Amino acid sequence: MVVKTHDAETKRGPGRSDAVLRALWGLGRTRLRGTVSILAGLLLWELLSRYLVANALFLAAPSQIVGALVHLSATGELGHHIAISAAEFALGYVLACILGIALGLFMAESEAVKQSLQPWVSGFYATPIIALAPLFILWCGIGIWSKVLVVVSLVLFPVCINTEAGLRTTSERLIEMLRSFGASRAQIFWKVSLPSAMPFILAGLKLGIGRGLIGVVVAELFGSRAGLGQLISQSADSFNMPDLFAAVIVLAVAGIVMTAGFGWIERRLVPWTRD
Amino acid sequence: MTPKLEVRQLSKRFGDLEALQGIDIAIEEGAFIAIVGPSGCGKTTFLRIVAGLTDASEGEVRLDGKRVEKPGADRGFVFQSDNLLPWRTVLANAMIGPEVSGRAGAKERQRTLDLLRLVGLAGFEHYHPRQLSGGMRQRVNLARALAVDPTVLLMDEPFSALDAQTREIMQTELLRIWEKGRKTALFVTHQIDEAVFLADRVLVFARRPGRLQDVVEIDLPRPRRLEMKRTPEFVRTVDRIWRLIEDDVRASVMQGEE
Repeated sequence: MVVKTHDAETKRGPGRSDAVLRALWGLGRTRLRGTVSILAGLLLWELLSRYLVANALFLAAPSQIVGALVHLSATGELGHHIAISAAEFALGYVLACILGIALGLFMAESEAVKQSLQPWVSGFYATPIIALAPLFILWCGIGIWSKVLVVVSLVLFPVCINTEAGLRTTSERLIEMLRSFGASRAQIFWKVSLPSAMPFILAGLKLGIGRGLIGVVVAELFGSRAGLGQLISQSADSFNMPDLFAAVIVLAVAGIVMTAGFGWIERRLVPWTRD
Repeated sequence: MTPKLEVRQLSKRFGDLEALQGIDIAIEEGAFIAIVGPSGCGKTTFLRIVAGLTDASEGEVRLDGKRVEKPGADRGFVFQSDNLLPWRTVLANAMIGPEVSGRAGAKERQRTLDLLRLVGLAGFEHYHPRQLSGGMRQRVNLARALAVDPTVLLMDEPFSALDAQTREIMQTELLRIWEKGRKTALFVTHQIDEAVFLADRVLVFARRPGRLQDVVEIDLPRPRRLEMKRTPEFVRTVDRIWRLIEDDVRASVMQGEE
């Protein structure tokens, strides 16, 4: 009996650790492919720019970009540009989110409000508002507020549309369930409509990140005293490819980090949408 | 003695469609009533009017002598689909009723925990709906309705989405739970054997217009066990009700109605 139990355990032991090893190997392999692909791409880029293009006016090698990043950080120039762009983005983004969610709530709550605002919202969402950036700069000057305005106008509409859609598609059956317990309108809103609209609202906010970043950079290209977009345009004017790419890399990292952060928030806030 | 639930000349029209016509019933406290009938006979509409989720066109429903006008915590409604909130745990879902009426204290929490144990969900209190099977979700649905300590339990085909075996188990479970409190119960179903197995009395509805066709008393002894479904008496009762609605069901099927 004892021998048998022992036997069974030794049989199960390796089986389980095998499974763990296989899982790790699988995970390692999926990560591995991505990492190898990125490294190979960087290497190709490095070789291309050193030996094939070999002209610092057209393409900077990754090693040169790293050099530029280090240099720009050391002089404090990069930090200044990042701080300006980040402030423009953050102000515009937060303002747009507050306004967009509020507008979405009003539209979901009242049919009259929805019917009057819908054409404007859909219209502005479909319009490349970024083309109005020069106009906003004329109105608000080349300081940060013209950029804030551009970000607001780009982020507001997707947030508003998603909020409204999320609230509107709340399951009638869930609302009725709450109603059967004698719930008030306010209780239905807080306990059912808002939580069930959360995944939509978060998706709208996520969409806003990419649009907001584009807004900041393009608006700065049109006219600004500082910011990553200004760094890009100034570097392009002086054919300084390493600095230009350095700014682009910073923007890419910002976009990736913010989107990944949103994924994390989504997993914590709306875990029921995972499957 | 005034009946627990009294329905007087209840009618409901949806446009030209006469969903219910002149329903009159008195139900005494602690009775288990099943309602059967073909599709479109208005049985669910009837239950929803009693719940206060739908208005009557004419007539009235009185609960303990008071006219029913809107939903309230004196009635617990068990829905056909479980309607659980996916972001809430089992316990938080079951607590929604007391929460809505502003009585979600420690006492209600303990009561709800006891109820979850009663419906067989001990150990699952902190699970989320997506982690549960269909049968378990319907148990939460039932516990949620009972958590407000209603005096009348209204059930709208709660087992219709379950597979045949789970369904039979849930029927015996429902009786076991009901025996503990003997609350007045109204149970809508389209399965005659389910109605006969559960109820003291079966209300047979007919369609076009939706109306109360017959009332069949079920004299089977309690507590009831699944084996009872194979006794001649049980089969005879099911057969009798089936013959009452057969023509109606045939008509509704031939017209291709749901």
